[in-house]
Amino acid sequence: MAQVEKRRVVITGVGMVTPLGTDVDSNWSALCKGKSGIGPITRFDASSLRCQIAGEVKDFHARDFMDEKFVKRFDPFIQYAMAASVMALQDAEFRPGQYDPNRVGVVIGTACGTNSYFENAHRLVLQGKLNKVPPFFLLNDSGNMVSAVVAIRFGAKGPNHCPMEACAAGTSAIGIAFRLIQNGEADMVIAGGADAGVTPTCIASLDNLGALATRWNNEPEKASRPFDAKRDGFVTSEGSGVVVLEALDTALRRSAKIYGEVIGFARNCDAYHYTSPTPNGEGQAECIRLALRDAGIAPEDVDYINAHGTSTVLNDVAETKAIKKVFASHARKLAVSSNKSMTGHMWGGSGAVEVIFSLLTIRDGVIPPTINYETPDPECDLDYVPNKARRANVDIVVSNSFGFGGVNAVLVLKKLEGI
Amino acid sequence: MDVFELVKKAICKVEPGLDESKIVPAALLKEDLDLDSLDRVELALALEDELGLYLQDEEMGDIFTVGDIVALIESKLKVEKTS
Repeated sequence: MAQVEKRRVVITGVGMVTPLGTDVDSNWSALCKGKSGIGPITRFDASSLRCQIAGEVKDFHARDFMDEKFVKRFDPFIQYAMAASVMALQDAEFRPGQYDPNRVGVVIGTACGTNSYFENAHRLVLQGKLNKVPPFFLLNDSGNMVSAVVAIRFGAKGPNHCPMEACAAGTSAIGIAFRLIQNGEADMVIAGGADAGVTPTCIASLDNLGALATRWNNEPEKASRPFDAKRDGFVTSEGSGVVVLEALDTALRRSAKIYGEVIGFARNCDAYHYTSPTPNGEGQAECIRLALRDAGIAPEDVDYINAHGTSTVLNDVAETKAIKKVFASHARKLAVSSNKSMTGHMWGGSGAVEVIFSLLTIRDGVIPPTINYETPDPECDLDYVPNKARRANVDIVVSNSFGFGGVNAVLVLKKLEGI
Repeated sequence: MDVFELVKKAICKVEPGLDESKIVPAALLKEDLDLDSLDRVELALALEDELGLYLQDEEMGDIFTVGDIVALIESKLKVEKTS
């Protein structure tokens, strides 16, 4: 069989809901100013937990994006994804008829899917009220419903996936979408990630696991401090990011605005531990290497790394080691920053939101900071863009996401030139 | 008990934002009120909440209008009373 040339893939629309804001502009502005979206948990009484803080989405008006019935029927994680999808398609100025519906796909990933809807339904079970369990429970509990409802809303009849790949889900979803277009299975894909895990069961479980920041209940905005020596865990937050990917040729044909090109993607698994990354960073390093190879670029071509940077003791050391392994002496010249220092960790939502922020970094020539960087950790010794955003011409970004289970996903994004 | 008012209330619960003046006995659930098959399941549950009655799937299958629901409930209430 003749080698078919891979199609180039660009991103033409972006949308997001995070603790920093419910649209892309307010998020980007907050991020560049170094604002934190973390605060005390208000959704439930967290006073018996060690960690009593989270990044809750505030001022989210679901009804601006979906009807009342939809809001009543679906878990917040699906609502966030729907809102981000509506924003992304509006931003892309997509109109039905621009593509054959059979060539439009949806890939929206999640780490956990439905949580609060589950907890509410289960309460009825415990009360013996089985006949009151909402008929929509199982639809919510099927993680893939998030991709399905977006397809139903926009008539997207092409491939439909829901990668459940922990905190790498959003990045992986965009990578899968990239492949679908690259390999000719779709012309346009709506892709991203979403989670809404600020619920009693989720937070308590992570608190008991020892994964969360516990020393900052009185100063929540300081709790997420990736790469800082005083970091002591991540901060759970919630939200969604969704992008519109298109084949470059068809995007140009419809004169779409283009944020940037996706040039490389890789996924792998540490196959090492449920929650800890490989201590020497080898699993993550290999994933970055594979993504660079897929992109056909050298390590020296990369200007900026949008880090996974969770603020856990282990992740930030392993990620730093991974970067040093892959980039060698260039690691010292790279800028590395963690959006999670401000957004907190939206799990499956984070990777997709970070891809969008990476594209805005390319567009505006501004690298958002890693906030709360106060005390250097000898094991984390790269340029983390501490505390203040930086102007820099950025052509190529590597965006990292690493999840529980040792799943890693890395995307390479590039400024579109010469078109 | 005004069964029609109860049914109206249940429909509003299932279909928030619906113009209440559209809920009249002759209104068709699907065509006039935009209630799909899943809405009908939710409507049956909402009515069961209000009335403590169990509406069986096969009974709901013969329902097309608001008036049909009212008639079904009234007949069930009558059976309950006499038995």
